[in-house]
Amino acid sequence: MRYRVAVTGMGVVSPIGRTVHGFRDALFAGRSGIGPITTFDPATLPTRIAAEVKWDGELMRDRKISFVLDAAAQAMKEATRAGTRPSGDGGLGLGLGLELFSMDDLAAKRRGRPVPEPIAERAVYLQTPSDLCVSMLADRFELRAPPLTHVSACAAGTDAIGSAFRMIASGRRRWMMAGGADSMINPLGVAGFCSIGATSTANDDPHRASRPFDLRRSGFVLGEGAGVLILERLEDARMRGAEVHAEIRGYGASFDAHGISEPHPAGRGAFQAMSRALAEAQVDPDQIDCINAHGTATPKNDPVETLAIKRLFGRRAYDIPVCATKSMIGHLIAAAGAVEVIAAIAGMKAGVVHPTINLDHRDPACDLDYVPHTARNHPQRFVLSNSFAFGGQNASLVLRAGDD
Amino acid sequence: MSGNASIHADAAVTGMAAVCGACDAGPYLRIRKLGKFMGKQDVLAVVAAARAVQAAGLTAPLGERCGLYAAVGYIPFETSEINRLLDASLDGEDFSMQRFAAQAFGAINPLLTFRVLPNMPAFHVSLNLDIQGPYAVSYPGIGQFYTVLEEAIAAIDSGIIDVALVGAVADQRNFLVEHHFSRVTPPVEPERLADAAAFIVIERRAEAIARRATPRARLVDCQLDYSPAEPFAGHAPSECLIRDGVTVSGFGELGPASLGVVLAGTERGRLTHRARTRDGFTVCSTWEVT
Repeated sequence: MRYRVAVTGMGVVSPIGRTVHGFRDALFAGRSGIGPITTFDPATLPTRIAAEVKWDGELMRDRKISFVLDAAAQAMKEATRAGTRPSGDGGLGLGLGLELFSMDDLAAKRRGRPVPEPIAERAVYLQTPSDLCVSMLADRFELRAPPLTHVSACAAGTDAIGSAFRMIASGRRRWMMAGGADSMINPLGVAGFCSIGATSTANDDPHRASRPFDLRRSGFVLGEGAGVLILERLEDARMRGAEVHAEIRGYGASFDAHGISEPHPAGRGAFQAMSRALAEAQVDPDQIDCINAHGTATPKNDPVETLAIKRLFGRRAYDIPVCATKSMIGHLIAAAGAVEVIAAIAGMKAGVVHPTINLDHRDPACDLDYVPHTARNHPQRFVLSNSFAFGGQNASLVLRAGDD
Repeated sequence: MSGNASIHADAAVTGMAAVCGACDAGPYLRIRKLGKFMGKQDVLAVVAAARAVQAAGLTAPLGERCGLYAAVGYIPFETSEINRLLDASLDGEDFSMQRFAAQAFGAINPLLTFRVLPNMPAFHVSLNLDIQGPYAVSYPGIGQFYTVLEEAIAAIDSGIIDVALVGAVADQRNFLVEHHFSRVTPPVEPERLADAAAFIVIERRAEAIARRATPRARLVDCQLDYSPAEPFAGHAPSECLIRDGVTVSGFGELGPASLGVVLAGTERGRLTHRARTRDGFTVCSTWEVT
């Protein structure tokens, strides 16, 4: 027995919007969420820009916990709008970025500051372990099935949704809260990415710094946020009268088994992830109406992703709109896949493909239709969403519009 | 109130291996120059995984029909690396962002970023065994080892893969992990923490026999229960491993690798693992080793 899996709730906290509607409107308008770093003084670090969440309330010290609690509350509120919760025990699938440590606390510890007594302070002193996030979500939203945390870096959010989809489709879980959360906009996070030359240094022109598929791209821009979906059996959703935003139809994952920071030059792993997702969805390549690309704006990713798309779709690759959400919100690392799936679903629902902004000078190696500058009306029944990680973990999802 | 999941496996364990403490990944590296990117957790994982694959009578490349499922312990950071970073960042006794950016940033070994990331053990194992199949990489404890085991067995049952390499790795004798375990209730003495990795190879029984592999063990029964718990103040954790009615003792705190380490060290008999974790998992599994 295999069950169809519906998306009945979505919540997002992003650099360009803290509700699904706000996020969608900003995406369609091509608005950049990138600006100078304000959460700490980046001093003379090579990269001094990021896509920060604009947050006006109280924040937990580990920002991503606040983000994901908010996104999860939005998703649950939407999923229960019909007046009922999804049936049975729910589980949690969460892609998580991991915090290193606070340099201020490290200095304090050397000065002899002991571990604080109160649990709330003890838990965040020096470093906040990210499993705290899982416990808080499970407790707050009464998720009683064993949770699965994913730490596959930039693919983690997509992996969380993909494995949650499989758990429901196979009957192992009845419903799932699934998504991703991350914030690495801190001294060690930004410095770490700077040290490997991965981030853009276009500090003087932040709105134009994230340039996926553009000849003048210079690396990704770090973002932060969270995206959360509620997934359940389609039949359960219909039974309780919940709105079905989309279906998850297929998931594919693969290892590049190639390089630590560069993808396989022929796009082998990306091709495998995409083709496995299509195979599970039982969807032919010519049925895909749009691709939400990984599109990091790094010199290495963009041409290889393009190559893999061309290998999978053949000549039709040139006719499929390919959009890069990261051009507007930067790279949300472990949250990226989840937030980009929400972008894809919002696009399917509206019949609009959001633009890839800042694509002024097309790289000859990136010769697909990336929907530059402005959104485009385009009906979509099946959409492919990609996430490819440092370390060669690749994940793709096939989404289907609505409920038919 | 809690929820649960069962793992039923008509599958055979055809290879098992574990390592504790220092080890050398040199003999198992396919691309030796990438060895410089490896942290302690990566070395442990590669050695245990490669030995498990050897024990199963398999050889690289394992290719598209092999999946990798791993639980990784808390994020590690060595004292020497932290001190270098901090020394270059202090203005008097306080952290200075100006000094960090001007001096410490340049002192950071760019490779350090790769050595502490939790998905890197999976990268190095996939690279050196040429695994191109699916994966699940979770964190940080024994409860998560069982969740990746569930994923692996589901992938085998559904026919997505033929071989699953399932394991756990924990680099725990370092500044950051020791700090973490000093603040939980009850605290864990650093001396009890150990560095370890363990991997098992799982295949469909019929296919294992068809390729003349010797099934070494099977999962008789497995139950996961979960009730959300605050990891710092939740219930006290407990763990026991019972081999043929006799409690196995002295294996210390091995993080997510505990079951795998004891399983790999079992020549023959019935092994039962029971654990209650700080983060709310209650797990019980029984394995038959032949």
